[in-house]
Amino acid sequence: MHDRLTQSMRASHLLALLFVLAALGLAAMGAATGDTFYLRLGTEALIFAGLALSVDLLLGYSGALSLGQALYFGIGAYVSALTLMKLPSFWLAMGAAFLATLIAAVIGGLIANRVRGVYFALITFGLAQVMAKVVYNTRELGASDGMIGIPVIEIGLGPFTVSAGSPVGFFLIVLAIIMALYALTAYLLDTPFGRVLTALKANEKRVPFLGYSVWRARMAAYVLAGVIAGLSGALYPMLRGFVSPELMFFATSGNAVISVVLGGVGTLIGAIYGSVLLVILKSIIGSWTEHHLIVIGLLFMLCVMFLPKGLVGVVRPAIETWLSRRRPAAVAMAAPADLPAIVAETARTSP
Amino acid sequence: MTPVDYLQFVLAPQVVNGLALGVAVVLVALGLTIIFGMLDVINMSHGEFYAIGAYAALALGAAGIGFWFLLVLVPVLMIPLGMAAERLLIRPVFDTRDRHVTTLLVTFGLGLIVEDVLKIVFGANTQRPPTPIPGATEIFGIILPNYRIFLILVGAAIVLGVAFVVYKTRLGAMVRAAAFDRNMAASLGVPVSLVYAGTFAFGVSLAGLAGVLLAPIYSVFPTMGRDFILLAFTVVIVGGMGSIWGAVVAGLLLTQVQALASLVISPVWTDPIVFGTMVAFLVFRPQGLFGRLGHA
Repeated sequence: MHDRLTQSMRASHLLALLFVLAALGLAAMGAATGDTFYLRLGTEALIFAGLALSVDLLLGYSGALSLGQALYFGIGAYVSALTLMKLPSFWLAMGAAFLATLIAAVIGGLIANRVRGVYFALITFGLAQVMAKVVYNTRELGASDGMIGIPVIEIGLGPFTVSAGSPVGFFLIVLAIIMALYALTAYLLDTPFGRVLTALKANEKRVPFLGYSVWRARMAAYVLAGVIAGLSGALYPMLRGFVSPELMFFATSGNAVISVVLGGVGTLIGAIYGSVLLVILKSIIGSWTEHHLIVIGLLFMLCVMFLPKGLVGVVRPAIETWLSRRRPAAVAMAAPADLPAIVAETARTSP
Repeated sequence: MTPVDYLQFVLAPQVVNGLALGVAVVLVALGLTIIFGMLDVINMSHGEFYAIGAYAALALGAAGIGFWFLLVLVPVLMIPLGMAAERLLIRPVFDTRDRHVTTLLVTFGLGLIVEDVLKIVFGANTQRPPTPIPGATEIFGIILPNYRIFLILVGAAIVLGVAFVVYKTRLGAMVRAAAFDRNMAASLGVPVSLVYAGTFAFGVSLAGLAGVLLAPIYSVFPTMGRDFILLAFTVVIVGGMGSIWGAVVAGLLLTQVQALASLVISPVWTDPIVFGTMVAFLVFRPQGLFGRLGHA
């Protein structure tokens, strides 16, 4: 029998596979019909899905609600834009965004990880607001207008090149990157580091007794989340050709939180589904009223109150059951005596 | 410009304006901090309740109800609203393990909805009710708008009144007891769930009152709550979540920082400076200036 985390992650992977298949279907349809609008929209949804993924890594696994995750998304986007305007190289832009968000997340983590719970939410909110306003006031960064005229780049992939201007090509590249980020996060959460995080969320006071550093685990999760947000943000100027301070403001962070809650907190793949769902909802509701916030706000509230694991929480148990029935042979032992997992289990089952 | 002129025409009016803004922020933060100190719940929709108060004042004022009556009527009308919000949204998730995050998210959702409803009902444009007290008074050679003087006085009276009720009356003792230990208070006969609903409603009603008072100065628009709540949260954090005096001291301090920074540095840099102060405070003194309401 696999332990619960592994089992639920397997179900998530299956949902991820379904997601990729559906996305490939959309790409094929887009390529066949030449309809670029939905592909562009889908690409944007995927980019914001990366931001939602980073919010879920923090909220769903270490229990820390970040209300300012757009900070790293914005830093990634701006650094990528600045790099592209100097040297139109995809890999250079991604590398620069990676480095910049790594440094920013270490600094931000040193500040934000001094506090817990509500204070953490509000300090991340404050940090993002400070940076957003600084960018908003800096003329060299285009101030409130942002920066436009970011060149359309050719992305070199070994023997091939794909233009960021090609809707299908760029959609596939973004899909590959976001799913790679998902896979990386899921992999890391399956290592002892991930178990420490889960244990941390379940019962922070017991973790130090097992010999794990709470601070180090929190920092690692925070920095990882920052980098994921930054790498997703780096893709944004390649898609839209501009960056603006709005990318860092609270609305962007708030949308990521909404995506995570709709999709399912602590499911990773839920963040990605949630992000796509939010975009679809906005465009459907937006086609008959400009007041989409009422519907989204209502759905959001209902999810928080009645579906704490979001939409994925509705379908995933069925998949888990199906998976465990399909392989009765897998009754072998899980990872030997995984202490944090046991802490997490006991804390979860006891009220 | 001589130093005396600078003092009289630049610095002093700016300090008084900062004081008026400080009182305004303290009024909004007061409800926020009471709800947090008492229920241990973050009300992210507090700014939207403030906006509801302002719009109610605008609509009822246009219907012919006088400003002085509105000061009483709007807070009273806000009470059932706050009670309903507490009963429908807070109470069902109050006992979840992650209460802070869950209630924060629920009220965030409520805020989104209210903002859009206000947009539908009143339109997206900025409106401004007429000032109920026109004119200006000269004090020590400094010209001050009368309404701002009134705001400072009324704000001080409200804060003192609330502090008196919370710290000196039997009702306040019941509220503090329920905040300190819910079960013990219940066993001593305090109607805890009514106290919780009442406290939430009271906080919401204070936000509404702030809306009535501030509408003539800061205008009324659907996203007004969102713009103001940032500052109010900052004040509550720096003051110590749940502390009334903390909110007062931090509110006045931060708005002076803002007023002086906009004078000395530049108005566009005030937000980063104020939020930077908040971040610095959280880093060096995460518990804020003062302690919690129920634990004082």
